[in-house]
Amino acid sequence: MKYYQPQSVNEAIEIAHSSQGMFLAGGTDLVLQMQKRKIQPKALIDLGRIPELRDIKETKEYIEIGSMATFSDMGQNQLIAEKAASLWLACQTMGSPQIRNQATIGGNLGNCSPAADGLPPLLALGAEAVLISGEGEKQMPLADLLEQTPLLSPGTLIVGFKIPKIYQLSGFAKLGRREALAIARLSVAVALELDGSKAGKVRVALGAVGRRAFLSDSLAQALSQREFNESWLELGISQVQGVVRAALGDRASAPYKRVAVAGVFREAIASLRQQGGLDK
Amino acid sequence: MITIEFSVNDKTYVLEVDPRERLLDVLRNRLGLMGTKEGCGEGECGACTVILDGKTVNSCLILAGQVHNSVITTIEGVGNRQSPHPVQKAFVEVGAVQCGFCTPGMVLSAKNLLDKNPHPSDEEIGVALSGNLCRCTGYDKILRAVKLAAEEGKQ
Ligand SMILES: Cc1cc2nc3c(=O)[nH]c(=O)nc-3n(C[C@H](O)[C@H](O)[C@H](O)COP(=O)(O)OP(=O)(O)OC[C@H]3O[C@@H](n4cnc5c(N)ncnc54)[C@H](O)[C@@H]3O)c2cc1C
Ligand code: FES
Ligand code: FES
Repeated sequence: MKYYQPQSVNEAIEIAHSSQGMFLAGGTDLVLQMQKRKIQPKALIDLGRIPELRDIKETKEYIEIGSMATFSDMGQNQLIAEKAASLWLACQTMGSPQIRNQATIGGNLGNCSPAADGLPPLLALGAEAVLISGEGEKQMPLADLLEQTPLLSPGTLIVGFKIPKIYQLSGFAKLGRREALAIARLSVAVALELDGSKAGKVRVALGAVGRRAFLSDSLAQALSQREFNESWLELGISQVQGVVRAALGDRASAPYKRVAVAGVFREAIASLRQQGGLDK
Repeated sequence: MITIEFSVNDKTYVLEVDPRERLLDVLRNRLGLMGTKEGCGEGECGACTVILDGKTVNSCLILAGQVHNSVITTIEGVGNRQSPHPVQKAFVEVGAVQCGFCTPGMVLSAKNLLDKNPHPSDEEIGVALSGNLCRCTGYDKILRAVKLAAEEGKQ
C-alpha cells in the first residue's frame, strides 16, 4: 500500500486520480475499518499536511469550516459557540476527548454513518458543502449532497462547509452512544430565526432515523412563522413523531424511536433556548 | 515502506515503517515502549492513550505515517520510580491503581489536563478522563487522585 502526504489540495486530487487511493483524515473510522479488513485501500492520501483545510474562519456571508477541523477544534472555537451553537453542542458530546482530538468533520461526512453527530447540526444550520475533484470545485447544499448515491464520486475531496451567517438560534440533543444498539440512537438538531416572539424560518434535522441524517421539509413548514411558545413546542413534538413514523415505517426500532424523539426534541429546544440566552 | 521522523519522550527517531502500522505497534514493537497498552484496539478504552502534539489521542487509531514530524509523550516520558510525576504520586497515595492496565492512559489524560488547566473543576476532571475506562476501581479514587495532584500543584 502506498502512502502519500500531499502539501496542497491540488496535489491531493491529482494523487487521488492517479493512485485511486482513499483520503485519510483523522483515521478514527478508516484505521478501524482497515484493521478489521473491511477496507483495503490501494493507497492512502493523508490530508494532515494541508494546513488550509483545518481553518475555521468568518467571512462576509459565512462561517467557513475546513474539512480537517477536528471536533475539538470546533468545540473550543468561540465563533462556532456563538454562531453555530448546534454544531458546538454536538462537539461536546461526540466520542471521547481522544476521539474528538482526532476525528474531523470531513471524515464525519465521508464516513456518513446514520448516527454521524456532525451532520444534523450542519443540516439545520443550512450549511453548504464545498467539494473539489478533477472537474473543479463545486458548492452545494449539504442536504442535497446527502441525497446523492454514492455520496461522492471517486477522487472527490471534501474541502469544507460554509454556514450562512443569518441570525439564527440553534440547538442539538442526542440519545445513545455510538456503540449502543442502532435502536437506541437518535439525534435532533434545530435552527430557527427568532423575530420578536415569533419563529421565522425553522429547520429541523434528524440523525439515526434512517440511512443518513436528513432535513425534514414537513417540519420546516409546520413550525415556521409561528409564535415560539409552549404550544409551538407541543406542535413540534407531535410533528416530529409523525416524521419518525413516516421515516421508519414498520422497522423494529419505530415504536421506540417515535416515543424517544419527543424527549430528544424537547431537549434540543431547551439547549437552543439556553445557548441563545432566552431563559435568563 | 515509508520513512518517518518523530520525537518520543524528547528523543528523535527516524524509522522505516509499513504505512499500515499503527502508532501503538510502532511504540510497543519498534521502540519497546510497553507502557502504552492495547485494550480494545477500537478507540473505546483509552489504554493506548498518548499525548500527540499536546493532545491526548488513542494510538490504536492512528497510523505511523500520520505522526511524521510530530512530538509524542508516552507514559515512559512522564516520570519514573525515582522521580514520579505528581499525578503518579497521587495515584499511589490514594490507591487509585488496582490491576494497573488503565493507569498509563489515565495518568496521561490527567497530566495533559493539569498542564493546560492546573485548577480544574470536578466536572472538568470527569470530562478529561471520560475516554479512559477502568474495570477495577470504579473511578472514585482516580478522580480523587487527580484532585489531589491538582491541589499539590497549588502549593
Ligand atoms: C470510539 C469511537 C467513538 C466514536 N464516537 C462517535 C460519535 O459519538 N459521533 C460520531 O459522529 N462519530 C463517532 N465516531 C466515528 C468517527 O470518529 C467519526 O465519524 C469521525 O468524524 C470520522 O472522522 P476521521 O477524521 O477520523 O475520518 P477518517 O476515518 O480519516 O475517514 C472517514 C472516511 O471519510 C473519508 N474522508 C475523510 N476526509 C475526507 C475528505 N476531506 N474528503 C473526502 N473524503 C474524506 C475517508 O476516505 C473515509 O472513507 C466514533 C469513533 C470511534 C472509534
Ligand atoms: S486500545 Fe486504543 S482505545 Fe482501547
Ligand atoms: S486498575 Fe484495572 S482497569 Fe483500571
